[in-house]
Amino acid sequence: MNALRIIGAFLKLNVQVALAYRSEAVVQILLNLMWLGWELTSLAIIFANTNELGGWGPAELIALLGVWRLVNTMMSIIVWPNTEKFNQGLRDGSLDYTFLQPANSQFLVSITRVELWRLWDFVIAVVLIVAGLGMSGRVAAPANIATFLALTVSGAAVLYSLWIVMIAVTFWFTRFDNNVTILAALMDAGRFPAQVYPFWLRLLITFIIPIAVATTVPLQGLRGELAWWEVAGFLALGVAAVFLSSRLWKAGVRRYSGASS
Amino acid sequence: MFEIFRRLWALNWAEQWQYRANLLMYLLFWLVSPIVYLAVWTTVAQSQGSVNGLTANDFAAYYMVLLVVDILTSQITIHVLAPEIQNGNLSNRLLLPVHPVLTQVLVNNIAFKALNLIALAPIWLALYLLFRPALNLSALHLALAVPALILAFGILFLLGSALTLVAFWTTRVWALWNFYSAVFMLFAGHFVPLALLPPVLQTIAKALPFSYTLHFPIQLILGKLGPQEMALNFGMQFVWLALAYVIFRVTWRAGVRQFSAVGA
Repeated sequence: MNALRIIGAFLKLNVQVALAYRSEAVVQILLNLMWLGWELTSLAIIFANTNELGGWGPAELIALLGVWRLVNTMMSIIVWPNTEKFNQGLRDGSLDYTFLQPANSQFLVSITRVELWRLWDFVIAVVLIVAGLGMSGRVAAPANIATFLALTVSGAAVLYSLWIVMIAVTFWFTRFDNNVTILAALMDAGRFPAQVYPFWLRLLITFIIPIAVATTVPLQGLRGELAWWEVAGFLALGVAAVFLSSRLWKAGVRRYSGASS
Repeated sequence: MFEIFRRLWALNWAEQWQYRANLLMYLLFWLVSPIVYLAVWTTVAQSQGSVNGLTANDFAAYYMVLLVVDILTSQITIHVLAPEIQNGNLSNRLLLPVHPVLTQVLVNNIAFKALNLIALAPIWLALYLLFRPALNLSALHLALAVPALILAFGILFLLGSALTLVAFWTTRVWALWNFYSAVFMLFAGHFVPLALLPPVLQTIAKALPFSYTLHFPIQLILGKLGPQEMALNFGMQFVWLALAYVIFRVTWRAGVRQFSAVGA
């Protein structure tokens, strides 16, 4: 398989980069653990003062923290580093070389840079999800777990597609190098269930910058709160997002004319 | 000296004005977490009437004042100074007969703050209309807040500068800054009014400078403090300002001696 060989080549390259900056990775892992401590402390403080937040208990918020970290890890492994590379390439023209490669360009710009040592964050995220589920005391039905997994994947796909849209828009507005800032800024809002936010903020993070679709929604699926047609709707949204964003990407690439021309 | 500051102001204001789009993005980043905490705590307070005596309105008022106080007292020294130390541009500034940090970097911070405040004003008004907190402001408390805010900025500016100066020794200064920010957010009252922290954390907060730079001015403006508490907090601000100044001077002296610009 060609795609697998390309991924393999990029992984090898990124392993070499990661090995060259070993102590940096150690520092970042320690910092990440510190933020984890911070996040758990803040949850502990909230639940020292209340039993539930918007109808969710502490165990479920720990699981939500896990899902949020899962999404965040995806963002920091591929999305943020590749955005930097993409914006730089668009400015100085080195993006030309990407388009010259005989492979899907969207695929290439998504995996050129991978911050591999952050894979460790995945482990933390999964531990949080499992621990949260275990603490909640309720045994999730296998169907609900399957729904949860499917919604997590489709939520991540929605955010990934939104990212593709945001960077593809840069083909039309070249000077817009703050293209992903609003996404990065709003990520923090995913740490708590969308139900606690005022109406306008819920609207914003559900429909416009749909962070809640990748964090709150999968957990609702796990709790069995979603009707079958809602689950189907969110899964369809994931598929539609991937399809539409790749169409927009192709239109953008056709517009691209290099930095010098 | 006045003329020097006037010229520096003109220069730095023009520079910051040039990056006004970036500034809006910065503001966006910085607005999200207070609004999230506002929402979280008002939800908790609404569901059970009050938290530890604080009503939903108290939380809304607290975070709305926090937005302004935080801009007035925060500092961006690491973004200005760390690159200059790392790429060696500081050498030029060291040749000038004025202290680079206490003139150029300071004025740059203030220009950034002024522009931020202008951009924040309409956003703050919109948020005020959305949350509609009842604010009981009195002229006396606002007048007292002026020195409290200046002292708070002084403390944070000197501490932030001292921390940035660690760049003289190591390139890992950003990791250190990350750590400092987390400690600040928890103990300054950024996440929650300090009365809601567990007792152990409250004790730590009292021993650190951060609560005097954010939590104290907010509570002062909201009129939550008696004369005795005010006096005590002002006293602590002076103590921390003096300490921060000493820390800054010591780090600066040692750092400049250590400094060998890139290429030298």
